[in-house]
Amino acid sequence: MTEQNKEAGTQKRAGYFCIYTPIEVIAAAGATPIRLFKGGDSIVVNSGEVYTRSYFCQFAQYSVGAFREDDPLYRSIDKIYHFNTCDQMKKGVEAIGEFFDVPYKMLCLPRERNRDASRQFMQREVEFFRKDVEELTGNPVTDEGLREQIRKYNQARQWVKRLSELRKQDVPPLTGGEFLDIVKAFYYLPVETSLKYFEEFYSHIAAEKASGERPIRLMISGGIIADGDRRLIDLIEKELGARIVVEDHCTGLRPFYYPIPEDKPPLQALSDGYLDTAPCARMKPLEERLDFSQKLADEYRIDAIIYVSLKFCSCYSISKNSFTKRFHGLEIPVLDISADYSENDLGQLRTRIGAFFELIRKGDSHAAA
Amino acid sequence: MNDKFLGLDIGSRTAKGVLLVGDTIHTAIRPTGFHMQETGDALVKELLLKAGIRKSDITHIVGTGYGRITLDFDGIPYGDVTEISCHAKGAHYLHPNTRTIVDIGGQDSKAIRVDPRNGKVVDFVLNDKCAAGTGKFLEMIATSIGLTVEELGEVALKAERPARVTSQCVVFAESEVISLKAQDVSQADIAAGVHLSVARRVGNLLSRVGIESDVVFTGGVSKNKGMRRALEEVTKANFVDLRLDAQYAGALGAAVYAREHAASNTVKHESRLKDRDLFASLREELGRVREAAA
Repeated sequence: MTEQNKEAGTQKRAGYFCIYTPIEVIAAAGATPIRLFKGGDSIVVNSGEVYTRSYFCQFAQYSVGAFREDDPLYRSIDKIYHFNTCDQMKKGVEAIGEFFDVPYKMLCLPRERNRDASRQFMQREVEFFRKDVEELTGNPVTDEGLREQIRKYNQARQWVKRLSELRKQDVPPLTGGEFLDIVKAFYYLPVETSLKYFEEFYSHIAAEKASGERPIRLMISGGIIADGDRRLIDLIEKELGARIVVEDHCTGLRPFYYPIPEDKPPLQALSDGYLDTAPCARMKPLEERLDFSQKLADEYRIDAIIYVSLKFCSCYSISKNSFTKRFHGLEIPVLDISADYSENDLGQLRTRIGAFFELIRKGDSHAAA
Repeated sequence: MNDKFLGLDIGSRTAKGVLLVGDTIHTAIRPTGFHMQETGDALVKELLLKAGIRKSDITHIVGTGYGRITLDFDGIPYGDVTEISCHAKGAHYLHPNTRTIVDIGGQDSKAIRVDPRNGKVVDFVLNDKCAAGTGKFLEMIATSIGLTVEELGEVALKAERPARVTSQCVVFAESEVISLKAQDVSQADIAAGVHLSVARRVGNLLSRVGIESDVVFTGGVSKNKGMRRALEEVTKANFVDLRLDAQYAGALGAAVYAREHAASNTVKHESRLKDRDLFASLREELGRVREAAA
């Protein structure tokens, strides 16, 4: 943040939805990056449906609805940057721009990270992104500034990962619900502030001695689990007594797993680093994503997986087939949940997840859907 | 003697109770109503009367179904097990060679694969969270052609050319049925068509877990002969006849679980997580950001 901006109180806020946005660029321009991922409220979803369609994904509809409902955080955003990951979010961002006069910049994200052309293209997109952020803020984004932000954000990623690793213990001292709060700090707070929290949390929690019986250890996999979408987590952990020990999705551990390289020129470091992050199901080949899921499952010694895809998310609802096949082969049970932000199916979810746990506790290692 | 176990299946529409005294099965049934505890208490009272025993004679109670969470029977050990496991256990008790169960209840339908060695669930699928393919669907369609849900199945058996009903959604199916009525299609043909439509839906669930004989049909809708015929036609499977009304399979399974729990002295797993103070200031700060007040 530049001194002038601080004094004038004109620090710009740049909003983004997907984790493929190199937020280091925003921070290097003295602006605040804020991830817009509240979600979880069906009334806001219904509001968004005025501009979308009922068969849009719940998160995309929510994102549009939040602007229509004048959500103060969403309305405080000066500009939205969207690295195009899926079609529904792309159209959602366009609707936000068109109907609510919110400036936005659409950027492209290649699907095949291993091709040279993709690398070159991504680097040009990040360059383009940098120029746009410079225009928005009126501040130059220097290589030195980028290097500094890359270092800071890498530190934060490292802390989140270390906090997550505490959950590798038989009785994890940290719940999945708590881990979501830690992750929220990364997306909502300035990196300097979140670093302080992470260090404090780590020193406390690492010193704790968790006791008790080894709970059912779960991995949650699939699409986005929004900030406000807590009912599944609460049902699993608070009511049914299992523990989420690792998340293979974009609001859990996944984006914190790999750092941005610090030994390359900053623009290249960012474009390579973001392309090489643990992959979303929109990337190709899908096998790379499955390999990563399997790696997490091994590392965290999980008993079972709950695969959650939001209603009408074409990406995660289709790729679940390959996912389930992979883990059936490994004899790890997978429960497939098609979720939305309504409240009327809690009874059914309780039964499905409860029966899934009964099946795991009995030591049967088959899958249920 | 410690041989009296009680299972209660508090379903979305109907509550069922089974009291196992040795191998003698006593049953009771009533509408679920609004107050599930009262319904549960009434079922217990009726079963005690039928078996001629006192409440204190019961060793263990297991509840299942939608209402299983909130029940309490002062003093008697109580646990809850999901209706998926209970239907499997109950069907296995009645017919040990059960490998596949189709359960159609008031508000959901399930396909369950069972291990014939022990009656445990191997795999299961539930319908999506809407009324398509459930008892509620049949009830609403019955009303729209002027029949009760009990009559619907009988009438369907008299069909000559079952009508084509393609909508899975209650609301759309209702208008489809109204237009069939307008075309003078007979009540029987419409009824048969509706059953086939539900059977196709449930047949999809079954094919996802795989149909392996012996197949058992449980849940309230299993009493409907038209539904049974339509399901047999769609799935090409033969359903096994049970010695007990299959509507009680869940409650019976719960009673069998009560017996097992009592034997293994299983205590209900209580895990209440408390919010940690450590996170309080972070949560407060995040709250301010979320309201853009920071």
